[in-house]
Amino acid sequence: MKIHALILALLAATALCARAAGPEVGQPAPDFTLKDGAGKSVSLADFKGKTVVLEWFNYGCPFVKKHYGSGSMQKLQQQATGDGVVWLSIASSAPGKQGYLAPGEAAAKQSELGMHSTALLLDPDGAVGRLYEARTTPDMFVINKDGVLVYKGAIDDQPTPDPASLAGAKNYVAAALANLKAGQPVETAQTKSYGCSVKY
Amino acid sequence: MKFRAALLALAFPLLASAQVFQGVTLVQPTLVADTTAIVPGQPFRVGLRLKMAPTWHTYWQYAGDAGIPTRIDWKLPTGFGIGPIEWPLPEAILEPGDIEVYAYGDEVTLLQTIRPPANLSSAAVELKAQAAWLVCAEICIPGKADLSLTLPVAKSAQPANAEIFSRAARRLPSPDAPPFAVSWTRSGDTLTASFPVPAGTTGVDFFPLPTKEQEVGHPKIEKANGGYMVSIEAKGDLRGVLAIKDADGQHGWSLVAAPTATQSKIQNPKSKIETPTVSLWSALLAGLLGGLILNLMPCVLPVISLKIFGFVRQAGQSRRSIALHGLAFAAGIFAWFLALGLVIVGIKAAGGQATWAFQFQNPWFVVGTATLVFVFALNLFGVFELTLPGRATNALSEAGAADGYGGSFFQGVFATLLATPCTGPFLGGALGFAFLQSAPITLLMFASVALGMALPYLALSLQPGWVRFLPRPGAWMERLKQFMGFPLLATLLWLLFIVGGQRGPHAIIWLGAFLLALGLALWIYGLVAAPHVRPRPRVLGLLAALAIAGGAGWLFLGELFAQEKAPTSAGVTESGGIAWQPFSQAALDKLLAAGRPVFVDFTADWCLSCKVNERTAIDTPAVREKFAQLGIVPMKADWTNANPEITAALQRFGRVGVPFYVLYPAGHPDAPITLPELLTPSLVLKALSKAR
Repeated sequence: MKIHALILALLAATALCARAAGPEVGQPAPDFTLKDGAGKSVSLADFKGKTVVLEWFNYGCPFVKKHYGSGSMQKLQQQATGDGVVWLSIASSAPGKQGYLAPGEAAAKQSELGMHSTALLLDPDGAVGRLYEARTTPDMFVINKDGVLVYKGAIDDQPTPDPASLAGAKNYVAAALANLKAGQPVETAQTKSYGCSVKY
Repeated sequence: MKFRAALLALAFPLLASAQVFQGVTLVQPTLVADTTAIVPGQPFRVGLRLKMAPTWHTYWQYAGDAGIPTRIDWKLPTGFGIGPIEWPLPEAILEPGDIEVYAYGDEVTLLQTIRPPANLSSAAVELKAQAAWLVCAEICIPGKADLSLTLPVAKSAQPANAEIFSRAARRLPSPDAPPFAVSWTRSGDTLTASFPVPAGTTGVDFFPLPTKEQEVGHPKIEKANGGYMVSIEAKGDLRGVLAIKDADGQHGWSLVAAPTATQSKIQNPKSKIETPTVSLWSALLAGLLGGLILNLMPCVLPVISLKIFGFVRQAGQSRRSIALHGLAFAAGIFAWFLALGLVIVGIKAAGGQATWAFQFQNPWFVVGTATLVFVFALNLFGVFELTLPGRATNALSEAGAADGYGGSFFQGVFATLLATPCTGPFLGGALGFAFLQSAPITLLMFASVALGMALPYLALSLQPGWVRFLPRPGAWMERLKQFMGFPLLATLLWLLFIVGGQRGPHAIIWLGAFLLALGLALWIYGLVAAPHVRPRPRVLGLLAALAIAGGAGWLFLGELFAQEKAPTSAGVTESGGIAWQPFSQAALDKLLAAGRPVFVDFTADWCLSCKVNERTAIDTPAVREKFAQLGIVPMKADWTNANPEITAALQRFGRVGVPFYVLYPAGHPDAPITLPELLTPSLVLKALSKAR
């Protein structure tokens, strides 16, 4: 009887551990280090005291194209970085898969799309994508100045690749950044992200 | 010309809408219909058929971690309605990075039901739809197509594309509970169910259908204890589809994963209408109340006045005598109900279907009742007097007690006989409960109904103080007695109406002819039965009366009435301006599957309450307009003659009698709304407004 209870407790504990692997809203965001196209290492810890946005990026994904093709993603990046927010775009596609960027290709893609993110980081083995349980592109995370995850999920409330859906869409990241700027708690802290699967 | 246009329209989508990427056709969309033509007012199914290139897939209604469900936006001509998409079972695809999606490879047909209006003037109709999907393999590409399908309008149609539709329909999850018991338990955020599976099962799947706000994990499927175990992380109850694979393919059942014994109840209309969980005491109380209210039902009112007249007559007698009359009357009520209860217990034991008021479905029973009512009326009119030959003096010497109490007893029987078809509010549910119970509880239930009905008479007879308020006997009593004959004749009209519904208008005439002859015979009997008539003419008169009654019975009932058959489509579409559809479970299931709101009127010609409701509350301009406005399908379950399908439908709601009304709101066949047994127009309108 006691042994049964013990096994159950252990099982429950492992289940809890498995659950805790992904980042939870309200918990500290796990630290990571990745290289950009120029080979420069960037760590989340470098930006303590600043608001950080993580954006999972795959230039070939129609959902990502919706936001870049219309210029709305670049505009939001420009606005955010102008306000002192750090915006990290992360490409977790594996070599040979859609959205993969070799180190030499990153800078060209940035200028081609007119990206305004602070850095485009390369995660070809998908380690950071898996650490954050990023499943779609675009999958968005917002981390506050204390390093706590305050938003994770979709970029907006229109889960479609149709650019026409941008008009009138509610952009959750813009809203979360506005909440943080005003010193308020983030109103919508978690949504279900949409898009293509991350091409690990 | 029309034919060529139709041909062109059929061929056109094949040419224009394919999604081509780098020379490969990724998705080939087409619209298909399961009919060769549109029959006005008759729903049919259409399908968006997507053929995917190898390794590419489009998504299910819940796409999983990535992807988006296929969308179909219809542009239909005015008057056309469209049901929700019915999604065949998907497959679960696990991609690198623990990304699980629910999708279709190869080919899928997404089904929808179109409801054309009842009137169509054009010779052909073009059905247009814009389909939008995401197709993914290693990469994802959105696709979109404007599709159209032109169908001719005709009076009748043949099935079409049967193979495509039956293949898709086989893969639709069933709304029924799985054929094996699945019960869920919750531990923290994890829902788990272990269940046995049928022999030959080669695999199990669970496809979650979370709400927009609900986060779910990936279902884990394991073999356990000779069956399977499914577990999934989710906060709150989770809708989903459980599927098993065997040699025939895949079979699925929609259910709700909820940690209770009744988990599949929300999704499953059949198990939702399970045995009513009324406690014995509240059922007995409801029976009592129902019995009490029976006294106010239209079919009993004439008997009440009759009985009150009886009390007036008795008011001159002793207290004890009045009390005994009341008890005798109550005993008559009890005797009837208990006899009925015993019959039902007997029939149930014999395996037959016994339902409330079922006796009125037998025309010979109605003929018997009509005869009794008519004879009673003639008696009240004074055409003849009932005397007890030979023992008449004896009876008189006992102050009329013996035959008086006997009379009260049979009046009690008679009153109840007339009351049974009109089950009052509460009574339906309470008797539904009784019918599903063991024999002793059934009898107890009937006894409580009997007590309820007898209560006012018992009170009146045991409380002589109340009798004192009744008027003094006098000459007016004779006139009142005669007057009471008229309500009885009105009751007779109602019985004739029932006979007409069962056997057609000729049957009414034959029964009327028999009653006329019977009236003549009773008049002769009345002439010769008087005490002063000498024996010889009396015997002759009695023989003549007997010959007339017997001859008329043989000719009009035995020969002519017996040959009349039930009229075809009796009483289905006759009432007023509502285009009632005859009830059948298959038609109802089809309409509900198509997402249509349906109002079912369970009725019978012999149920006066039903008729009153229909005339005053249902068949009104406002209700007709509401039906049309909300596209509610009116369905009439006519129970005038025995109909096992309707009996079964009533029993699913725990009912055994009519009237009964139920509204299935659009898209919620699992949440039917039942209406009370006494309707008002505003009550009906209020209920109907919940149809959408």
